[in-house]
Amino acid sequence: MVSGTTRPLQRVAERLIHGACRRLPADVRSERCREWTAEVSAILNDESTRPSWLRGLRALAFCAGISRAVRQLRRSALAGSRRSTNSQWRSGAPRTRPSDMAVRICAGLVVWVVVVAGIITVLIAYPDPRGWPFLLVVALGIGFDAYCLADIARASEARYLSRRTWALLCLVQIPLGGILYLCIGRIGPARPLSPNQTRP
Amino acid sequence: MKLTGRLERVLTVLVADPAAPHYGYDLMKATRLPSGTLYPMLARLQQEGLVDSEWEDARPDAAGRPPRKYYRLTAEGARVARFELAQVPAARGRTRHVAARPAHGTHGNAW
Repeated sequence: MVSGTTRPLQRVAERLIHGACRRLPADVRSERCREWTAEVSAILNDESTRPSWLRGLRALAFCAGISRAVRQLRRSALAGSRRSTNSQWRSGAPRTRPSDMAVRICAGLVVWVVVVAGIITVLIAYPDPRGWPFLLVVALGIGFDAYCLADIARASEARYLSRRTWALLCLVQIPLGGILYLCIGRIGPARPLSPNQTRP
Repeated sequence: MKLTGRLERVLTVLVADPAAPHYGYDLMKATRLPSGTLYPMLARLQQEGLVDSEWEDARPDAAGRPPRKYYRLTAEGARVARFELAQVPAARGRTRHVAARPAHGTHGNAW
């Protein structure tokens, strides 16, 4: 039976799944949602998983996997619809939902505030201007690395090495790994192509 | 169909009892694959007509349990899976063989 602790977890997991399913094409959305919610309750009520907190962990891992699965299912659905009807992609621009837009603007503002606060803190902590060039180089390195990692995260695949290896390379060799990735490893972000473009 | 290691594991589990229905968590446990790998794979197999899915009927004894979606191999799927799995050891042996043999062949032809 459902114990007391799994109830809130189940709600959290269901919410995560609902959120992930919203990105699926409308025709399969509700069915997938029902299927995965049933799986979560199977995971949380699986008596053979001991200790009991492991069930919660498994359920969360399941949700993380679901969001990856949704990305893949969506990609293959888009590939299918691109083959059948191109009208949806005539503009060639990736569509962003308004709610996505709001989240992005908020995230941008938060990043901006953090960066400005960081700069002010550093300037207060190091009033001596001789240290500034060094700080500037460090900041540029971090920014460049963040840019490369974000690019890798958005890409569906990379050339020559796996995305994970490229990310590791970027982290280990701070300027060089990123430069190498941008020069030879980058294919581009996973976005719907306009019909007159060819697949990479 | 390209037989990757992960697909091989899924097919092995499904083929072990082709008539038995499996739900997702069941397959995840049996194949030790994460959900992010398993579901896209099942969707692809279903698209190719190798796997079939059905919803279980709401049973009165399953107190409040939501109905599950079950997957099972189609007749065609079972045939393809057996065929592909039978190829695996042979293919592994062959690739080693092929890698070794062309060298001899070219030697024989060129000189």
